[in-house]
Amino acid sequence: MSVAESVLLVAIVAVGTYLSRAGMILLLSGRDLPDRVLRALRYVGPAVLAALVVTFVADPEEANRGVSAAELAGLAVSASVHARWKSLVATLVAGMIAFWVVRELV
Amino acid sequence: MPSSTTSRDRRQARFKLHQDAVRDSLPLLIPAVPFGFVLGVEISDSLMPVGVGFSTSVVVFAGAAQLALVTLAGTASVVTVVLTALVINARHVMYSAALAPVMARQPLWFRAIAPFVLVDQVFALGISRSGDPADFRRYYLTCGALFFPTWQVVTALGVLFGAAVPESLGLGVAPALMFTGIVVAMVIDRATLVAAAVAALATILLLDLPNRSGLLCGAMIGVAAGYAVEGRRTG
Repeated sequence: MSVAESVLLVAIVAVGTYLSRAGMILLLSGRDLPDRVLRALRYVGPAVLAALVVTFVADPEEANRGVSAAELAGLAVSASVHARWKSLVATLVAGMIAFWVVRELV
Repeated sequence: MPSSTTSRDRRQARFKLHQDAVRDSLPLLIPAVPFGFVLGVEISDSLMPVGVGFSTSVVVFAGAAQLALVTLAGTASVVTVVLTALVINARHVMYSAALAPVMARQPLWFRAIAPFVLVDQVFALGISRSGDPADFRRYYLTCGALFFPTWQVVTALGVLFGAAVPESLGLGVAPALMFTGIVVAMVIDRATLVAAAVAALATILLLDLPNRSGLLCGAMIGVAAGYAVEGRRTG
């Protein structure tokens, strides 16, 4: 890949990424959103991040797609630990340990 | 109110880090380390020149899209690569819309700068923050000031030392674990639970849609499901 070609590619993605993040903030900021839209927006966070977790563990682009038992164990332990202690450090550490243990056992 | 804000801003001419933002950001910075490191390794393996690949951490600053960009570059058509990266990033439109009501009370310079650092973590932190506009601004900017340089440092470390870390450690799973914790924190009632669960299920079913658009479609189905559950209960 040539330098010019890859610079162009990165530039397009950079501008597109900024616009995707800025669009609604700059367009909608002058007025209030309808109440129905505001209520629907409550669900954007949990829905998008849950969908993101799925694409992280079951990456369609990867050769070894699908979810392993170790990954499932990590996710389950992370969810439980965060529900109980609300600490993201504990969530990460416990999830990784569960992942390693189950990977060794299976 | 604008006059009192201005005088306070003048007194605090030097930007002070928001203590709450530092406290809330630190645990979220930890998973960014393995993710950024993995990205750095991929940048060094990319068909793109390493310098251009690394520049994505400065000008794009969106991990999942960068990962797709540097791994696909040179192996697929430019149109395919651009579309893939932008579809992955399309969730930011929803973040942007969700933050718009809060941003409406902010000055234009902040509304122009803020989107640049609107990564998943900063969205999660920003959307859960309430308070007066000046406080929110300092909170948000502190998050950005922590995540932006950290991302470049860990990406650079991945580029330089990626080959030395055993792949068997499986650190690639770390981002998913952290985002799971964030989802759990956002599930505060039955409707948000339905939104998250339906989004996850729909995304699994739609995994084969091209350009990873299953992520977006699944999320939108989840939003609709949460909204429907709420509507049925109140209406």
